Amino acid sequence: MATIGMERINKVYMNGFHAVHDLSLTVDEGEFMVLVGPSGCGKTTVLRMIAGLEDISSGELRFGEKLVNNLEPKERDIAMVFQNYALYPHMTVAQNIAFSLKLRKMPKGEIRQKVEEAANILGLTEWLDRKPKELSGGQRQRVAMGRALVREPSVFLMDEPLSNLDAKLRVKMRTEVRRIQERLGVATVYVTHDQTEAMTMGDRVAVLKDGALLQVDTPQALYDRPVNQFVGAFIGSPAMNLYQAEMANRGRSLKLGSQVLTLPDTILVARPALSTYSGKQLTVGIRPEDLSARPHLSTSGNTLRCEITLVEALGSELMVHFTIDANLIQVEQVNSQEQDILSDKNEGVARLDPSVPVKAGDKLTLEVKLERLHFFDPTGNAIYD
Amino acid sequence: MAVVANELPKVRRSPTNTKIKRDTHSKRLARIGWAFSTPALLFVALVTIFPIGFSLALSLSNVSVTGNGFSLQGFTFSNYYELLNSSTWRYAMEFTVFYTIATVLVELILGTAIALILERLTKGRGPMMALLLLPWSMITVISAELWQYIYEGTYGVLQSMFSAVGLGSPVFLGSPTPAVVSMMVADIWKTTPFVAVIVVAGLVMLPSEVFEAAAVDGASSWTTFWRITFPLLRPTIAIAVLFRILQAFGLFDLPFVLTGGGPGTSTTSLALLSYKVMFQNIDYGPGAAVAVSATLLVIVGSLLFLRVFKAQVGKEELQ
Repeated sequence: MATIGMERINKVYMNGFHAVHDLSLTVDEGEFMVLVGPSGCGKTTVLRMIAGLEDISSGELRFGEKLVNNLEPKERDIAMVFQNYALYPHMTVAQNIAFSLKLRKMPKGEIRQKVEEAANILGLTEWLDRKPKELSGGQRQRVAMGRALVREPSVFLMDEPLSNLDAKLRVKMRTEVRRIQERLGVATVYVTHDQTEAMTMGDRVAVLKDGALLQVDTPQALYDRPVNQFVGAFIGSPAMNLYQAEMANRGRSLKLGSQVLTLPDTILVARPALSTYSGKQLTVGIRPEDLSARPHLSTSGNTLRCEITLVEALGSELMVHFTIDANLIQVEQVNSQEQDILSDKNEGVARLDPSVPVKAGDKLTLEVKLERLHFFDPTGNAIYD
Repeated sequence: MAVVANELPKVRRSPTNTKIKRDTHSKRLARIGWAFSTPALLFVALVTIFPIGFSLALSLSNVSVTGNGFSLQGFTFSNYYELLNSSTWRYAMEFTVFYTIATVLVELILGTAIALILERLTKGRGPMMALLLLPWSMITVISAELWQYIYEGTYGVLQSMFSAVGLGSPVFLGSPTPAVVSMMVADIWKTTPFVAVIVVAGLVMLPSEVFEAAAVDGASSWTTFWRITFPLLRPTIAIAVLFRILQAFGLFDLPFVLTGGGPGTSTTSLALLSYKVMFQNIDYGPGAAVAVSATLLVIVGSLLFLRVFKAQVGKEELQ
């Protein structure tokens, strides 16, 4: 059991590529920390540096009080689950799970007992004599977890362990992985590019982009108070709608294209800095669930008129794609994975009650929860003061 | 109802139709394939299958040699009786088997070691591979001449090196045991690169994550090699060894050039013995019998080896 402490860690590759910039992050004992970000953001590099599979260019990595920068992976007492599971193909499930214990020269009886116990927890008992290639993806995944489980490591690392599973199994395994992590009760770093996984699994989530840590907080705090428009757009599904807007009337009205939202005083009280943007451009963020349908085409200071382009009925809710005449802002590296390539680039999304009778082509008035608007300055940083 | 009845057979027929179409298509493809390969097959039959069949016929016949050539005069097993009673044949058989096992074993160990080093080279692997392949790419007769020059008793390179450091003048090719060892060294020098290159190819194919998992699991490099690398490399090694066994059993050019099979018959392989009996003693029947025995040895040896490795080959492929 130990904490993981990263202090101004950098990774510069031989070819000069600066993969990780000045990363400082602490993972507490028993904490489930998720590193999330678009591909190429350096999250896997960070994990591999913690594992000792990648050299640390500068900075300090500590497990507890102990500096581990220069320790070999085997000296770090870690367990790691790899993206492709990395099972030993020539060994049976039991041998795979037992391998690390054998290397530690643990007595045979004890090894057997531990392997059986792990197999029992993971539902692998009847598969113990099979080779990995005879198993399904989900079972291989569990063998990989089993290897970590018997180790009782002081640090537990996972590199996109669920990304090779089909969607249904992935959802099921999320809870299983969480359960196993809680059982181990050790500092855990989990890497994923899937923000849903990050939100549902992490005690805290660290958002990385281009090798830099943007924000680390609980999933709810990330969702409610993103530090910048990247985090705002990255966390949450469907993504936050970001529009170019102009502040007017000393921060009391917000122009989105030809439409105007009237901001209540409470917003200005909470964020006095907004008034300084009067007459200037900024970005306003509206979460899909902060929009609701108005029955009539009546308008007021908290509504936006839009045209519906597509309706996705999910049963419990409707995802309504719409256009307004304001400029939608695309955040680099966020939209590529979520956005349907066929959809119009200028489409916003609203999450509406399924009882609303809407169809593509309709005109609709959307009511905006003004209190829940997000504001970002032209550099993309959130405005909270 | 009538419509449905009319429709049904149509629906049922259509998959059969496509199947028939596909069949004729694949048959046509097969015909074209045969048409293209027939000339090559005829050529192979002419230079390989016919000689093998002919030497089998020779080995089972009374062959009489005349001034105009030779003729087959009736069926007999006597050539094989002669073989089984000949200590020269028995020695050649034992020598060939021993030589094959010893050289292949050494080549395998050295080749794997070199491959492991090569695989770790991040820079200059290409030039190193090219250098390494130089001995392998050399025609055996030429490399044998080269080694002849090295081992030569009076003016040889090794001879002068030994006397320069005061180790006297050892005999390399002139006495039986040193001759066998010297020949094996020449063979190992030439063919280790072949094993190394095949093993490198196998190593490169292995998934890196498995080795990282082993590192995390706490395996030392020694353990990693024996518990992970070697088992995963088994199919590759099997292929390399099989090729080498086939080649080494046919050992001919090295002793032909280096020692002529001597001193005495100490470096006479089955292939060389067959050549000598047939073309130096002009004893076609027994010579053919030796050749057939060599062929049998190759077949039995390869089958035995494959049997041992069969459990591994194809079974250990990656997940």
